[in-house]
Order: sequence, then structure tokens, then C-alpha cells
Amino acid sequence: MSAAVLELQRITKRYPGVVALDGVDFTVYENEILGLVGENGAGKSTLMKILIGLIQPDQGTYRLRGAPVVIKNPAHAANLGVGMVFQEGCLVPNLSIMENLFLCHEIGFRHFGFLSKRKMRDAAHAALGTVKVAADLDTPVSETTPAVRQMIEIARLLWLSKLYQQRNPVLILDEPTTVLTDDERNTLFSIATELKSQASIILISHRLQEIVETSDRILIMKDGKRVANIQARHAGIPEIEQMMVGHAFAADRFREDEQIPPGDQVTLTLENVSKRGVFEPLNFEVRQGEIISLVGLVGSGKEALCRCIAGLEKPDTGSIKLAGKRLTPGSPSEAVRAGIGHIPIDRRSDGLALGMTIAENVNLLVLDHLKVGGFISPQREKKNALRWIQDCRIKAPSPSTMCVNLSGGNQQKTVIAKWLSSKIHLLVLDHPTRGVDVGAKDEIYRLIRQLARTGVGMIIMCDTLEEDIGLCGRMLIMKDGQLVNEVNCPPYRKPSPSDIISSIV
Amino acid sequence: MTAPDSGSATITQEKATVGHKRLQIPAIYFALTLLVVLVILFTLGNQNFLSAYNLNTIGNYAAILSVVALGQMNTILIGGIDLSVGGLMSFTSVLFVVLLQLIGVWAFPICILVALAVGYVNGAILTRIKIPSFIATLGTGGILTSLALLVSPLPVVAPGSKYGLLDLVNGNLLGIPNLLLLALAAFVLFYVTLRFTKIGRNIYYVGSNIKMSWMSGIDIVGTRNFAFVLSGFGAGLAAIMLSCNQFGGDPTLGNVYILQSIAAVVVGGTALTGGTGGAVNTIIGALILAVMENGMNVVGVDAYFQQSILGLVIIISVALTFDRTKTAMIK
Amino acid sequence: MPNTVTSMLPHRSTSWLSTSATKGRKWFQRSGISGQLLALIIVMGIFTIGTRGKYLSLVNLQVILSLAAIPAIIAIGLHQVVVLGAIDLSVEGVVAFCVVIVGFLAHNKFNANDVGLWIIPITAGVGGGAGVINGLLNTKLKIPSFISTLGMSWVLWGLAVFVSKGQTIPLLNNPLRAVVNGYVLGIPNLAIIAFLIFAIIQLVQDRTRFGRYLYAIGGDEVLSAQAGVKVHQTKIFVFGIAGVLYGLAALFLAVKLDSAQAITGNNLLFPAVTAVAVGGVALTGGIGGAKNAALGALIVTALNDGLILLDVNPYAQQAVNGAVLVVAVALTIDRKKLGFIK
Repeated sequence: MSAAVLELQRITKRYPGVVALDGVDFTVYENEILGLVGENGAGKSTLMKILIGLIQPDQGTYRLRGAPVVIKNPAHAANLGVGMVFQEGCLVPNLSIMENLFLCHEIGFRHFGFLSKRKMRDAAHAALGTVKVAADLDTPVSETTPAVRQMIEIARLLWLSKLYQQRNPVLILDEPTTVLTDDERNTLFSIATELKSQASIILISHRLQEIVETSDRILIMKDGKRVANIQARHAGIPEIEQMMVGHAFAADRFREDEQIPPGDQVTLTLENVSKRGVFEPLNFEVRQGEIISLVGLVGSGKEALCRCIAGLEKPDTGSIKLAGKRLTPGSPSEAVRAGIGHIPIDRRSDGLALGMTIAENVNLLVLDHLKVGGFISPQREKKNALRWIQDCRIKAPSPSTMCVNLSGGNQQKTVIAKWLSSKIHLLVLDHPTRGVDVGAKDEIYRLIRQLARTGVGMIIMCDTLEEDIGLCGRMLIMKDGQLVNEVNCPPYRKPSPSDIISSIV
Repeated sequence: MTAPDSGSATITQEKATVGHKRLQIPAIYFALTLLVVLVILFTLGNQNFLSAYNLNTIGNYAAILSVVALGQMNTILIGGIDLSVGGLMSFTSVLFVVLLQLIGVWAFPICILVALAVGYVNGAILTRIKIPSFIATLGTGGILTSLALLVSPLPVVAPGSKYGLLDLVNGNLLGIPNLLLLALAAFVLFYVTLRFTKIGRNIYYVGSNIKMSWMSGIDIVGTRNFAFVLSGFGAGLAAIMLSCNQFGGDPTLGNVYILQSIAAVVVGGTALTGGTGGAVNTIIGALILAVMENGMNVVGVDAYFQQSILGLVIIISVALTFDRTKTAMIK
Repeated sequence: MPNTVTSMLPHRSTSWLSTSATKGRKWFQRSGISGQLLALIIVMGIFTIGTRGKYLSLVNLQVILSLAAIPAIIAIGLHQVVVLGAIDLSVEGVVAFCVVIVGFLAHNKFNANDVGLWIIPITAGVGGGAGVINGLLNTKLKIPSFISTLGMSWVLWGLAVFVSKGQTIPLLNNPLRAVVNGYVLGIPNLAIIAFLIFAIIQLVQDRTRFGRYLYAIGGDEVLSAQAGVKVHQTKIFVFGIAGVLYGLAALFLAVKLDSAQAITGNNLLFPAVTAVAVGGVALTGGIGGAKNAALGALIVTALNDGLILLDVNPYAQQAVNGAVLVVAVALTIDRKKLGFIK
């Protein structure tokens, strides 16, 4: 029975309107590979960020090798032998492999005040040797492949643990295989298995096959809670999927009774649209008043697809037509003019001008219609703003309130109001209820149903599978850049999340 | 709040977006208060401060500074800056006097057109060649200064025969000096453009959140070009006003106005980050600067020390108005 | 890259100019200094032909070296700030102020002060102090460097003129005179001093931890901080070194002119920024070293010397310099890093 190297108890983390982690217990033992699975929003990222000190929990204890610790920041965590290899990579791009390996810890290589390149080189070769990488140490990291970068980060963490004499370091690998080829993946897992003798590894992946094959133990998270802790050799993939999404499906949370069948007219047509390296040629249609849900995990290509539809990115092939008319690719202004709206995932940085008023944000797209004699009329502006504030139930003292002072839910409603007021035909909604409290969520669902009634087609990507199923009339499932399945979601006869999950992972 | 599970690796995204409440009192009230306080201070220092003659001097200076500052304001609103106003003013002033001699009253519109063209070029360097505005305008400003010196290495006096034309600026209308009326007209023009036209409003959107503006289909290139054209207009008009007022052109007269125009805009409460502030702020800022400049002279502060004080005032104003949530890292 | 606002934008090069500029940039940078050396040879070649060989005379080469020394020292100070990703526009103000300090404290005609050789550490210290203030304004008060250093320049310039009352202070019997004006084996001493400064700074950049941190911050400030780099300390130090070098440049200038006046600082910023850009130091940061800055200064001086020899109108020279600056920046900045350019 191995000792526990890392123990988290009753960890809770709250954000306004949402509980990210709810009394989670999390233990990592020495010399094990722990697989961590869960949907987006289950709390995996938050938990890991707490592990490495990026954020602090609101409640709970953190014990490392038996002693309680407070981890101040990722650098501190690394010195204590806890480190994470992020999806995006944490290496400084213009520095060389060797420089990145030892960044901030070069003091041991000093030779009369100057860094001894020879000592550094020897140490670098040794460090890279543990992860089986042979590369020119002076190559800038920006010129290396993602596979090599991951290995460098792992090598660095291992080297730091040795430097600070931290026994059994804990390495967290966050979706490491999404950017790797099959060969690179096999190398990674064989190295991970080798490293087990001196470290513990937490493997986060949505590819359940990998998790079952490589891990010793598997932890499943859902809705901020830990729902299961099982030995890998006893695990079957269908069981894991069930536990990830749960059985219960709360009907009418998503105003199912307001769901209407789509109109006859086709609003959006995608013909042969593809983007090299991201998604294969796709064809589908969206009808008037139809809500389509795009479902898929990281790497499925759905985000890029939505960006292409909204004109934010250019697809490599194919055509996108709105009401039969072909749209110029890669031009948001064209898309907007044609009547395509886009609610971005990050409303603070992409959705609103925070330093401007509600009225100014709501009226952004319709200024031409608010003119009198060629000039914008303040009265018409106010009238339009008030109308949509009322319609969308935005809670604010006045239309001249600055958006930065609104709550997350009201900010989101302002973004929606902006598009609503401009007579769109198609709306792309990217995680519309993320970070929004329960009450505002319901109001946003109401707005979505209202939009459908007026004939607006919608493409939606939600935080949870349940939300996707609940809102949409038809679900398109993407995996690794391909459209793998299409599922109807009629009201009162909705599929359950467990039916769908196997197509996704 | 940022999404709890965004998977992002950065620390600052969390910090920068945690409940930042904007200062509820608009910057304009601070600017007005400062103006009043300064006037009181200087009057206490020297009672002649409020004399008709002195107020006239302040008014003349403020009028010209307002016009160039109002132009500069547009580039700052959009999140950039125009460091070429000095060179443009110098060049326009000598060009104006030379053209007066050659083509008489047509010098007025031609010079304005040239100024507009220069503004457009500044905008184009930013939007097409994608060079940051502060380097691009530093470069074009240098080129314009040397062009000015090429046209006329020394100050050039306006031809006496054309003095009548200069009355367009130097004359009076119903007792009010044309100089002030022109400044007022410029103010109205800029105010109306920013507040009541779509492209003016777009300057605010682009300055406030350029990414959102792009995603919402706003013509970023056109809006930015427009902002720089407006800046060129301000510099050109101010140069003409100044040349008429001084009965001559000077290839170095513009240098001072780079600092002063930026100071007027920033002190008035328009943030360097863009998206807030406006014409009224800038007029108040110009008045503050004119009052400071004049007041320090009247009270006896050393001429060269004034530059230091101005520098300090700018640093403090920027520190107070810069929107730090906008840039995760300050470079 | 997890950079907050700028990372997600698709990189669109809509005009052929910017696409080819990106290709040109990669070549410009990847080649270290070989691109710059080539440019230098071409420039010198053109002028040698244009002046029928006069350009390559020993006298002219000495002139070029001696003229390039001080801009090189300033550029070496300035470029490190640029590598960080910031900018230092305070050159003229710092130099003006330090020159005036020299005027007041070295043996001069207006007062009885004579600090002898102490003037060297004093000037360096004053310049360094100004630099540290720049660093503090940028890191602690979070004022963007281009405004804070610009403001500092104006503040210091004003102080300089105020303190000196706008007058020229003649220096007397300065002990450094022989050093500043002398030659060793035909090479101007100032050029040798500039070379030594370049060598020291380049060594520091290559072989010390500070050098690593400098480039890390320039490459990705957020990730560097996450890795444990002390960003604020490093930035303040970099601004400080720049100030020290400006101070030394001011000292040499004053001694060379044998007098101290505030306007000595004028027209130093533009050539320095041009030198840094031409040398291949990207405004976006993370790229370029002391060798780039020094070589850039040499190229700019060689260019201007040639223009003078060819009798080109002095005002047109400034226009040429302006154009060179704009082109050099266009070729070296990393547009992906800037996202939407302001």
C-alpha cells in the first residue's frame, strides 16, 4: 500500500453563480498513474489549478507528503515537486530548449559569476535523457514540435524535483495526446510508465481508451463533485461514460415545452466546408427557427467551424450560404450584414465594450436605423435601448449604466439584446450560459425560445451535454474533425446523455 | 467573472477581470475642478491674471491648441496616438504662406486637403502596413519636419498684399474674434461627428474593444483611417490659424504642439487606452493647459521649468485615467 | 499561447506588403547579424562608388567610427528596454540633465566645483537613477513605458534647462579630454570604449541569469512570471542600465564639446531608435542583442556620413532617416505578437 504523496480534502471553490468544486476529496499515491475524467465544466481544470497554486480554494486542506501546505504560485509548486504540463504549453517561445529547462534555476551552474555553458549542457542532456529526447539544445522552443515541448516541460519538472530533493514529484498531464501523432503518443505513455518508479502522474484525457490502458486508478468528476474512484483494471468504458454524465435528465429545465419544429425554409447551408488540420469537409443545413447543437470534445473542430460560420475565420474549401446567397469567407462584416450573429464565449473581452453604456452596446448594430436627418437621434437611441432592456429583462438602473458594472448574466443579456435588435437570421451561440447564475440562465433560455419563434436559426454550443440536448432540436456530433453522428432531440422524447456520450469520446 | 473551467494557463486573466468597478464620477468633473482651482490660484498670485488683455491672450492660445488637440483626440480615442501633428503643423504653416503668395485665397482649402491627405497616409501605414501608430507617426512627423525645413529653412513672412485674406482668421464677427469662432466651429464639428454620426461612434467602439468591434462587423480599417484624417485636419486647421495670427509661417512652430496636444487630451480626461472621453473633455483640457502656460508666466515661473511641470502633469493624468483592466500587462 | 486578448485572432495578412514583410522579417532576424553586416557592406559600397573612393579613406573611416560611438552606447542602453517589450523615450531628457550635471560639477568656468574623475560614477549614477525611476513608473505605477519615459524626458529636459538657465557652461581642463579625443592605433578611443561596453553587455546577455530573464520577459512576460522570473526587478534593472549608459554618453559628449548645455541632448533619440531597429532588435521584444544595437548604430552613422559626403540636403537626410526607421520596424516586428496593432 503506497503512501499518499498529495491529499486534498473537502476542497470547495465558488465563483459568482456557480460552484466549481463542491467538497472534493482528492488523493494521489506514490508511484501511480491516476486518470482524471469528466465533462467540460466538471471541475477538473479548477482542481488542477488549485494543485499547482494558480488559484486558492475557498475551503479545504492541502497536504503534500503529509504536511499541510499553501501553494503560492506555480513556481512555488514546481519547487515542491508538483507541476502541470498545460495544453497550450508553458515554455517561453524565443528561448532555447536548454534555457527553458533551467529558467530561474540557473544558480547552480555559476562559474565565477557567469553561467557555465558546459555544465548546463551536460545537465540538459541528462534531463532530456530521462524523457528520451534527443535535440539540439540551442533550438528556440518555438521551432520544436508540440511533442518535444511536452517532454521538455516534463523533463524540467523532474529536474526541479531532483534539485529541490522532492521525493516522488506529481506530474499533471492535461490532454497531452490531442497534439500528438500515434507514435508520439505511444512514446509518451511508455515514458510515463517508466517514470512511475520515481513519480506520480495525473493524466487528464477525454480519450477513455487511453485512460483505461495507461492508468492504475481512475477518478471521475461531474458537476464539481467526485463521483467515482475506481481501479483501472476493473473499469469498463461504458460504465465510465455513464458516471461522467449521469442518468437523470431534468426535463423542462430548458423550457422544452416551448420548443417548436423548424420552419421549411433553409436559412444556412454549408457545402463541403473544411479547414485543413482542423475539420474535414462538412455538409449540413439549418432551417428557420431550428436550434442545432454542435457537440464534441476538445479537438473536434466545432469551435473552428462556428468561427468560420461567423466569418471570423476562413475555411479552406466549400461555401457557406445564408438564404441561398454565398457569403464571402473570413469577413465578419459581411456575415453581420447578411444577418449572422455571434455570441462569443468570452463576453468580457469579445462581446461588449465594457467602458460604454448599455444603450451604446445594444444599439451598436442598428445605428443606421436610429438616425434622424442623417444624424443619430438620442431619443431614438434611448427608446430602442429601453425596449430591449425590457424585452430581455436586463436589470440595470438605466440605459446609461456602464456595462462593466453589470452582473455576468446581465452582461450576457446585453450581448444578446445587441443581436436581437438587429434582425438576424442566424445566431451562433458559444456557451451562452457560462458563468451565469441560475435565474439568468432561465431567462436566456426564454430568449432563445423567443428567437426561434421569430424564425431565427441557431447553432449552439453549451457547457453541458444536458443543456445541449435540452435546447436543441437536432444535435450534430463532431469528433476529431469529422461529423460522426446526427441525433434528433424532439421535445418530450429527448435522448439521454449516456446515449450520446459514446459517440463523442 | 471568467468561466471557472476555461482551461487557460495564465494568472493575470483571473486577476485582471475580478470585479473592477469603474470610477463612478466621470473624469470631466475632475478636469473642471482642476481648471477652476488653477484660475483661482493664479489670480491670487497675480491679480492681472483676470485682466481683459490676459484673458485675450489665454483665449488665443487656447483656441489654437483646442483645434489641434481636438484632432489628436480622435487618434487617442481609437487607442493610438499621433506624434506627427508637430511636423504637420510646421509643414502646413510654411506651405500656407508660400501658397498665399502664389494662389491667394486658394491656399486655405489646398492646405486643408494636404493635411487630410497626410492624416490618411498615417492611417494607411497603421492599417495596411500594420506599423504601430506611435512609431509610424514618429517617422512621418520627422519626414514632415524636414519637408517643412526644405520648403523654407527660416520663418517666412506672409506677403503684405494678402493681409486681407488673413482677416478670415484675424478679423471679428459681431465683436467676437474669428479665431475663437473657428475654434468653436471646430469643436462643434468634432462634437457632432463623435456623438451623432455612426463613424464617430465607431471610433469609440473600436477604441473601447477592437476585437468586439471587429466581430460585430464594424469597418476597423475605415474607422481608423478616419480618426487619423480627423487628426490631420485638426493639425492643418490649427496651423493655418496660427500662421494667420502671426502673419507668417515657421518651420519649427509645430514641435511644441506634440506634447501640448497630447497633454490637453489626456488632462481633460480622455484615457490613452481609448474608448472614453470626448470633445468637451478636450476643450477643458486645452483651457487647463492654456491657463497653466499663461498663469505660470504671469506668476513668474521659469519658462523652462514649465516643461517639467507639464511632463509631470501628463504622467499623473495618465496614471489616473489609464484603464488597467484593458491590458493584462503594461508594456 | 495563453495570452489574454491578442491570441485568438486569425492572422490575416490582407495586403501583399505585409505578407512579404513577414517573410522579410524572418530572414532579417534568423540571420543574426549577417543581414546587418550585408547591409553595412552594401551601404558602404554604394557610397564608395558615389564618392569615388573618398568614403573609404582612413580619415573618413575614423570619422565614422568616432561619430558612431556615442549613438552606439545609447543604442546599447536603449535596446535592452526594447527586448523587454517596452520602449525608452527618455534618452534626450536624461542626457540633457546629465550633461548639465557635468557642467556644474566638473571643473568649469561658472563655479568652483571640481570633482575630477568622480564625475564618471556621478554621471552614471544620476543617469541610472533616472532609469530606475522609469522602471518604477512602469512596474509599480503601471504606466505604459512610452508615456512614462516620454514624460520623464520632458521633465528632465525642463529641469536641465532650468538649472542651467539655458546657458552654455564651458568646461576647463577636463581630465578625460585626452581619453575622449584620442586615438589608439588609428582607432578613436570613443569607439574602443563603445566596443568595450558592447562586449560587456553582450557577455552579460549571453552568460548570466539576468540575460536569460531579459529574453524570457521579452518572449512571454506572463509565462516568465509563472516560471518564477522576477519580472519587476529585472525591468527596473534594465531601465537602470539604460540610464547609466545614457549618463556615460552624456559625459563623453560634454567632454568632447568641452562645454555643457542642455540642448546637447537634442536629436539623440531618433538615431538611437533607428539604430536599434535597423540592427534587428524587434520592437515586439525578445529578439536582438548588444551586437545588433551596436551594428545598427554603425550602419546608421555610415549612412548619414555618406549622405553628408555626397552633399545631400541636410533636411532631406532627416527624411531618409525617417523612411529607414519605418522600413526597419516594418521588417522586424512580430505581427502575430501584436494582434491588433494600435
